[in-house]
Amino acid sequence: MITRARATALIFPLATLFAGPSPAAEDAALLKDLTSVILLLGMPCGQVVSAKRQADNDHIASCKNGNRYRVFVNAEGRVVAQKL
Amino acid sequence: MMPAVRIVGILSFALAVGCAGVKEAPPSVMAQSAPLIIDPLPVERNDDGAVAAPPPTPPAKSRSTAKAAPPPVKVPAKASAPPPAVEQPRKHEDPPPVAKKLEPPLDVSALKARLRDTNAIGVFTKLALKNQVDDLLQQFRAHYQSGQKTSVASLRQPYDMLVLKVLALLQDSDPSLARTISGSREAIWGILADPDKFNAVA
Repeated sequence: MITRARATALIFPLATLFAGPSPAAEDAALLKDLTSVILLLGMPCGQVVSAKRQADNDHIASCKNGNRYRVFVNAEGRVVAQKL
Repeated sequence: MMPAVRIVGILSFALAVGCAGVKEAPPSVMAQSAPLIIDPLPVERNDDGAVAAPPPTPPAKSRSTAKAAPPPVKVPAKASAPPPAVEQPRKHEDPPPVAKKLEPPLDVSALKARLRDTNAIGVFTKLALKNQVDDLLQQFRAHYQSGQKTSVASLRQPYDMLVLKVLALLQDSDPSLARTISGSREAIWGILADPDKFNAVA
């Protein structure tokens, strides 16, 4: 009984801890989003392999082909991909 | 001499038995070929519209003699039946496409709502798409406000390009929405190309 109680006490906090989306999954979604938006804006990229967050809605994206873009939402509410 | 006669006799007996076996084999093969002629095949081929299958079957059945009598009786009956049977399967195949076509075509506002609600694309992409849709709508608005009586055919290409971009974004992650948008392409263009409908929407 004691062992079962300990296990239960461990399982619930761990389940709660890992219940949300993992950071890796969020990163993958962000990379996919950045890839899509750069291609949508007609910029050559191929695939975004890494991204660095600078601020809200402001990221530096590094593409597979070596290009780097600053992807952000400007004051007019437009998404901009600025080549660095 | 006597052993030689015996040997010849045994060999001839063996040959006779072998030939008899061979003679018996064809009927069994024919009996197998009769079912292999397979009545369903002609029916299926009739579904495709091919009429080549029926001719070979009658001679085979005529060779199969009385043992194959039941199949020939069935075949003519089925041969006469195929036309209605062909129509029925087509009727069965038709309903699913009709059900797919029954999906109501989207209008501009519904398209925006569906794109906003889908999880297939991220926030940046949604915002960029919204920008491009608004840009295109602005071009239509400018065209109609300019009072030009020329057609909006010049805007068809940017419209098609934008639709293709949307489809490219959605086809893997949200194929149903991509299908719906693809099916609504002409309906949406009909709204955009008609000044009255466009003003009602915008």
